[in-house]
Amino acid sequence: MWAYPEALLAGAAGTLRIFVICLVVGLILGLLVGLGRYSKLRLAYIPASIFVEFFRNTPVLVQILWFYFAMPMLMPFEISPLMAASLGISLNSAAFSGEIFRAGIQSLESGQWEGARALGMSQTQAMRRVILPQAIKRMLPALTNRAIEIFKMSTLASAVAYVELLQQGKLIASIHYNPIEAYTCIALLFFIFLYPLVQSTYFLERKLRQSD
Amino acid sequence: MYNWDFAPILANSDVLGMGLLNTLKLTGTALTFGVPLGLCLALLRLSRWRLLSMPAGLLVEFFRTTPPLVQLFWFFFALPILVQVEMTPFVAAAITFSIQSAAFFAEVFRAGIVSIERGQSEAALALGMSDQQAMRRVILPQAVKRMIPAFMERSIELMKTTTLVATVSYADLLFQANELAQKTFRPLEVFTVTALIYFTVIYAASLIVHRVERRLAISGETTVH
Repeated sequence: MWAYPEALLAGAAGTLRIFVICLVVGLILGLLVGLGRYSKLRLAYIPASIFVEFFRNTPVLVQILWFYFAMPMLMPFEISPLMAASLGISLNSAAFSGEIFRAGIQSLESGQWEGARALGMSQTQAMRRVILPQAIKRMLPALTNRAIEIFKMSTLASAVAYVELLQQGKLIASIHYNPIEAYTCIALLFFIFLYPLVQSTYFLERKLRQSD
Repeated sequence: MYNWDFAPILANSDVLGMGLLNTLKLTGTALTFGVPLGLCLALLRLSRWRLLSMPAGLLVEFFRTTPPLVQLFWFFFALPILVQVEMTPFVAAAITFSIQSAAFFAEVFRAGIVSIERGQSEAALALGMSDQQAMRRVILPQAVKRMIPAFMERSIELMKTTTLVATVSYADLLFQANELAQKTFRPLEVFTVTALIYFTVIYAASLIVHRVERRLAISGETTVH
């Protein structure tokens, strides 16, 4: 298992790369989707809602395979495994985090809006300077949960043969005929990395409950 | 412009139908084993003896924290060698998803049980019930009602997760779709229809969850998540 550290390192780098891409794209897109879902404009609300419902109610792996096998039929260019997997996972997380953002914004009392307005702020200023900073604090545990989910979902990229930790584990297992050691190691690696994150989410949740 | 052609899918609709049946079969099996196992894990985790609560807690945390696909590969590729038993993709998948959903159901059960006010168990004990009787007759019946929405949401998640078995070639809906796409050279149509089938089933299920949740809210019932 440790005879070829390059293989595992390449896998870890691949996992981290797709995790960061999906986290950044998913959260930014999620904020836009959340604002769309909160908006009174039907032109923003309806597309955002269809997007959320569709991506929340279909399995991620189906989305990834759709982008990998089906979308190229419509596009003039090839789709790489990384692109297909990132598209599937990012859009899926955008739908879920969009709902987190919307719930966070809605949870703020209307007095906050009125106060900002009374100080002469415009709608956008109030959202950016008063509402979002407070909402994000409340959303923090849900968002870190989302990040953990994205990290777990990154393993699905192995289904389109993208080089990440699980894919490398599969490779090592097939070369050395040691699936027990290989898959146990991969599972432990994920556990060791994610367990502190999960615990800190619990900690954040408790702390937030106390301060509210 | 791409010419859409759904005729090959209509001609092979039994292939996808078979897949959907297998998806439901796997989800049903995992639920049948996962729910009772989840209840056991929750009760063990709430136990006063650390010898019981610690291992149960570790198992729950491990299966909730590691990626489901890694678990599936472990049970499919590593476990058969470890126990020297041949395993079909269905058995490996059923074991994985039963234990995995048990870990999540355990947390739902635990949240439900903990949410019942202390006075309830105190009153049951004052009536002369044993700990076990109080749990079975007083705490659990009330806890289960609060857990219904979380329980249903978890079952929907489980159904979405079962798509992972396509990677170990169990003939679920996604696997069948992949086969059909290769046979007909129509991946766009096949995968689009497959996504729509999943959407229809899962969206319908989540609408039912919302309705149940609303009804519980109207009757003043608190729910746990």
